[in-house]
Amino acid sequence: MHAPVQTTGHVWDGDLAEYNNPLPTWWVWAFYATIASSLVYWLIYPAWPVGKGFTKGFETITYVNDKGVTKTTHWNTRALLMKEMNQADKQQRPYFEKVESTPYQKIAADPELSNFVTSAGKTLFQDNCAACHQAGGQGKIGFAPNLTDDDWLYGGTYQKIQETITNGRHGYMPPFRDVLSDRQMDDLASYVLSLSGEKADPARAAAGDALFHSETAACYYCHGADAKGRQVLGSANLTDKIWLWADIPADRTLDRKVQDIEWVIAGGLNKGVMPTWKDRLKPEQIKVLTVYVHELGGGK
Amino acid sequence: MAAAGITTSEQYDYEIVKKFAIMTLVWGMIGMGVGVYIASELAWPILNWDIPYITFGRLRPVHTTLVIFGFGGSALFATSYYVVQRTCQTRLYGNALANLTFWGWQAVMVLAPISYMLGHTQSREYAEMEWPLDLLVEVVWVAYLIVFVGTIMRRKQPHIYVANWFYLAFILATALLHTFNNLAIPVSLFHMKSYSLFSGVQDAMVQWWYGHNAVGFFLTAAFLGMMYYFVPKQAGRPIYSYRLSVVHFWALSFLYMWVGAHHLHWTALPDWTSTLAATFSIMLLLPSWGGMINGIMTLSGAWDKLRTDPVMRFLIVAMSFYGMSTFEGPMLALKDVNALSHYTDWTIGHVHSGALGWVAMITFGSMYHMIPKLWNTKLYSVKLASVHFWLATIGVLLYITAMWISGITQGLMWRAFDDFGNLQYSFVESVAAMHPLYVMRMIGGVFFLSGMLTMVYNCYMTIRQGVRETGPAGVAPAGA
Repeated sequence: MHAPVQTTGHVWDGDLAEYNNPLPTWWVWAFYATIASSLVYWLIYPAWPVGKGFTKGFETITYVNDKGVTKTTHWNTRALLMKEMNQADKQQRPYFEKVESTPYQKIAADPELSNFVTSAGKTLFQDNCAACHQAGGQGKIGFAPNLTDDDWLYGGTYQKIQETITNGRHGYMPPFRDVLSDRQMDDLASYVLSLSGEKADPARAAAGDALFHSETAACYYCHGADAKGRQVLGSANLTDKIWLWADIPADRTLDRKVQDIEWVIAGGLNKGVMPTWKDRLKPEQIKVLTVYVHELGGGK
Repeated sequence: MAAAGITTSEQYDYEIVKKFAIMTLVWGMIGMGVGVYIASELAWPILNWDIPYITFGRLRPVHTTLVIFGFGGSALFATSYYVVQRTCQTRLYGNALANLTFWGWQAVMVLAPISYMLGHTQSREYAEMEWPLDLLVEVVWVAYLIVFVGTIMRRKQPHIYVANWFYLAFILATALLHTFNNLAIPVSLFHMKSYSLFSGVQDAMVQWWYGHNAVGFFLTAAFLGMMYYFVPKQAGRPIYSYRLSVVHFWALSFLYMWVGAHHLHWTALPDWTSTLAATFSIMLLLPSWGGMINGIMTLSGAWDKLRTDPVMRFLIVAMSFYGMSTFEGPMLALKDVNALSHYTDWTIGHVHSGALGWVAMITFGSMYHMIPKLWNTKLYSVKLASVHFWLATIGVLLYITAMWISGITQGLMWRAFDDFGNLQYSFVESVAAMHPLYVMRMIGGVFFLSGMLTMVYNCYMTIRQGVRETGPAGVAPAGA
């Protein structure tokens, strides 16, 4: 450390002064070093605009472009991305190709391919499907169906799942508030509860049963005479304990349960919309997702 | 060195300084409070309560505007008006204009958050205000420039003190940045919405030229001005090197203007622009450190003060954080490091090590020095200031550690591939991994905010004590 040198001789605000110490030597050299390293950087990478172009630098990148042509250019971020994608592609492609050419049933039987599907499918599912169907595919009552059980609105075979993902789905149930009286909707709700083995007023459930199969309400058109739903329409099976729109498991009292089901009957449903994915995902990605969803638990 | 018979409070315009000093505390409290709330929203999203006005996206600019421009801005107005008068040994120029800067600036600080919560935004980071507010800021800023330059021009000192160079550079650069980044055409005279004159990557480039120089001139140069006055004053020693201050002032001012594009690495920005920004960021390291060296070396020979004086401790720790974040900055500006850090919480951590560690700490130290002098009294409780120091230090450390871990974790998770060449993690998995770190960050924020609250109490008691001793007119008793 230098001994303090003289101040500059100026004094401000009573006691503010400045020593005139020289610049610290290490500081000066370190500053020069950063300038030198910048010069080197400029020689290697694109750096200075010149006319309508720019200095390209010595560094080059070799990559394969979209058309399969190998190219070498000066260093640039686009080429670097392509090169890195080439590498990932090289690893992924054989597996994707195998998935494409292997029938669904055989994919699950092939341990290596099924490992690949689990790995690729997980990320595809989380990035595209989990926003509605939740991270584990367990769905959310009132929002999106559970994919881990064996209850399928549109069918749980590989072909049906692939169809659902490719084209999307739009579930619809008409509103009944102008067709049925409150009393009638009450009866229907009791019947629907009784179908799932829930406690319900037996007299009202019986009345609901009659109404369900009558031409007045005509519920059986879509849900079927056995109330087990029809997968061609996407109508729900009402005889199991699985609920999608009315949150019966969360309701504590019989009144609340009846009310929740009445709300569905009265208002109908027009929000069971799943978007189409064919414009966003490649066929082989949809195939991977199909197997992934099929294996989540309930594939048929 | 007041002339005989005149007290400093008559010689200098302290009223305007007092007003800005009080608003520094008010906006600090509110702005940091909002910060803690939005940190909690990120940890527990239910705290949105599904109310659009208080969702993260709208409250975030409320937080940044209130802490940077409300707290930081008011602190700069207060200290620059204080420093320029005392070092030029003259009264502030343009009393009405100075009052315009006060009321205009406070109006912006009230109106901007309301407009953000109602959904009006330019969507430019740190420049969210829509055009009517931009115009108001423009008027205030021109008035500020006139007041500041007017005061320097009637100085009774032949030489302009170094702190004033930094303040003036900050005022000029901010005027330039604010004007060009807000060149926009309103949809109509009676509509808040406007569209930028620039488009695409050029628009992004202008925004980050603004954004980074807001860091450079508003949050760095201006607060270095604060440092150049309050550190030697509090230490009672001369500045270490006049020569260093000249060299690093010009190097800093020149180099900062080039580096904004490092916010746009790996985007549609041309690669050569990116390279220049990265290299100028590296060259900026030593000029940035010049200020730290000058501040810390000023204390050499008076290190014992650190043991007894919490104000000195604030100032020195502020410079240490300044040194650390101006080292971290150039590293993050390197393309390869940036490939990992960009879009992660590392950036948030970096900003806060600068904003909490440097900007807020140097402000706390300066305010603890200045507020008792303004009201002609002594600080109410040195002990409480010491408590504040520890709360603030622990708060910053928790905050930045949480963000380092979370940022690097995000960066590594997003780029991890498995043996099949598939991405190993989905985005939502990285979000889930952040939760404990977001809680830790929130706790850091609570520490920092509690420190701020002790300061508000301490300053309130100091002011009350000052008013009791000297009367509301602030006339000092004999010997003060």
